[in-house]
Amino acid sequence: MREDYNTTRPLVMHIDLNSCFATVEQQARPMLRGKPIAIVNRRTEHTAIVTCSYEAKAVGVKVGMSFKEAKRLCPKLIALESDPPKYRYVYHKLMAIMSDYSPSVTMKSIDEGIIDFSQSPAAIQTRDLIDIAREIKQRLRTEIGCAMRCNIGIAPNRFLAKTAAGMNKPDGLNVITHENLREVMGKLTLLDLTGIASHNEHRLNQVGIYTPLQFIDASAEVLRRIVFKSICGDQWHQRLRGWEVDDAAYDLKTCGRQYVMESRGLNRVEVAQRMHHLAEAVGVKLRGQRKCARGVGIYVRLYGETEGSMSNGRWGRKGDYWHEKFLAPLPFYSNGAIWAIANRLLAHVPLGDIREIGIHCYHLTDGLSDQLALFGDELIREQQVTSAIDEINQRYGERTIHSADTLSTGIYVKQKIPFGSTRYL
Amino acid sequence: MNDEIFLNERVEVIAVFNDSNSPCRPVRFKRKNGREVEVSEIGLHHPTIAGRRMVHVFDVTDGGADYRLEFDSERLTWTLTLEADRV
Repeated sequence: MREDYNTTRPLVMHIDLNSCFATVEQQARPMLRGKPIAIVNRRTEHTAIVTCSYEAKAVGVKVGMSFKEAKRLCPKLIALESDPPKYRYVYHKLMAIMSDYSPSVTMKSIDEGIIDFSQSPAAIQTRDLIDIAREIKQRLRTEIGCAMRCNIGIAPNRFLAKTAAGMNKPDGLNVITHENLREVMGKLTLLDLTGIASHNEHRLNQVGIYTPLQFIDASAEVLRRIVFKSICGDQWHQRLRGWEVDDAAYDLKTCGRQYVMESRGLNRVEVAQRMHHLAEAVGVKLRGQRKCARGVGIYVRLYGETEGSMSNGRWGRKGDYWHEKFLAPLPFYSNGAIWAIANRLLAHVPLGDIREIGIHCYHLTDGLSDQLALFGDELIREQQVTSAIDEINQRYGERTIHSADTLSTGIYVKQKIPFGSTRYL
Repeated sequence: MNDEIFLNERVEVIAVFNDSNSPCRPVRFKRKNGREVEVSEIGLHHPTIAGRRMVHVFDVTDGGADYRLEFDSERLTWTLTLEADRV
């Protein structure tokens, strides 16, 4: 366990596009620049705001707020439906720019990524990273558009680089080194640190840690044994001192989709159609990652509480959330197999007005299992049909072939941009 | 909500092809009703896929409204698909 600060040259750069989707829309549509805009996933008043422009943030509009509520705060707020191809294009442009500087580029989500300059060629490593940061900002404006802005943070590890990128928004550029670490942390609160939300803040408060500086000064033992009660305590101890502990890739564990109903009072047939649509989308995602699954889980969220005793499955603490899952003995990956299990689970869904549904596959394995071959013709036929459908959909567009009972759901259940994961971009 | 009007209108476009950062640049288009729109700025150009067909989407403005033009690279057609933000 290293007790000292990491004094090596900061070689990690974190780039974060400011209010990404809103900025891209303002870039695409010049008449929207300087106006408060909000990106939503659906054209209704009750939809939640995915992101909003700085003009909207200035009057108190926040991500996650309902559009109706935001409109009260900002009557001139303009809602735009999200346009995933546009954001995907900007993501790929950003990634291409970043890849020019190092072979080690990690995209953390659709609007942020990390360049590790320790892997860069010597000619790039010898340059001042602040100059490179300014160059990247300029390239964004030249190669994507003049309205594009980003925050850049440079530090010895990923955590501090992200912390630096979160300062002086929008269009900021900050460096954290061992020399200014305490000065920077002195200006932040615990909740400003990525990974510290109210629950972890409460844990820290219980041992008398109220500021990031006190957090840095806490011993590894206190953090490990008392605060986090796990190896996470050691990791925080190292992370706050500038040592790298977050350079890890994680395997895909689950693959799923959710949908918030477009209106109240949908009957069970309509709910099943939407679940079927989601099951097909999950199948496509699963096969896109070349994975098989053994388990399927579904959940529903209801308007208000309902009697839990009326069904199998498990209830959430608030009584409005129900979920159930099923683990099959053999792996599967076809839409039909996923839907067959989901449909069985759906029969157990409790009574009540459903607000949201979700489905996920779990126990994922790579490729196809050898066990499938044991079952001969039936499964080989299913594989062939699935791959033919996928090929047709790739050639002629998504959902060219889909199940008949999802014919009417396409206008509601649309593919949206996943935050937090770049696997499907 | 906003004042977007979704269209599917074939338009005649004068475009410049060169080797700069934006190799294809629509400069003017003529709508079905005969009105000519002078493109003063291209906000964003991004390619998108319709099956295996590549469609180039140009979000443009004439300074009075924003428009979306789509160029189908297989059929070589231009379509006006959106008009919005008219001042």
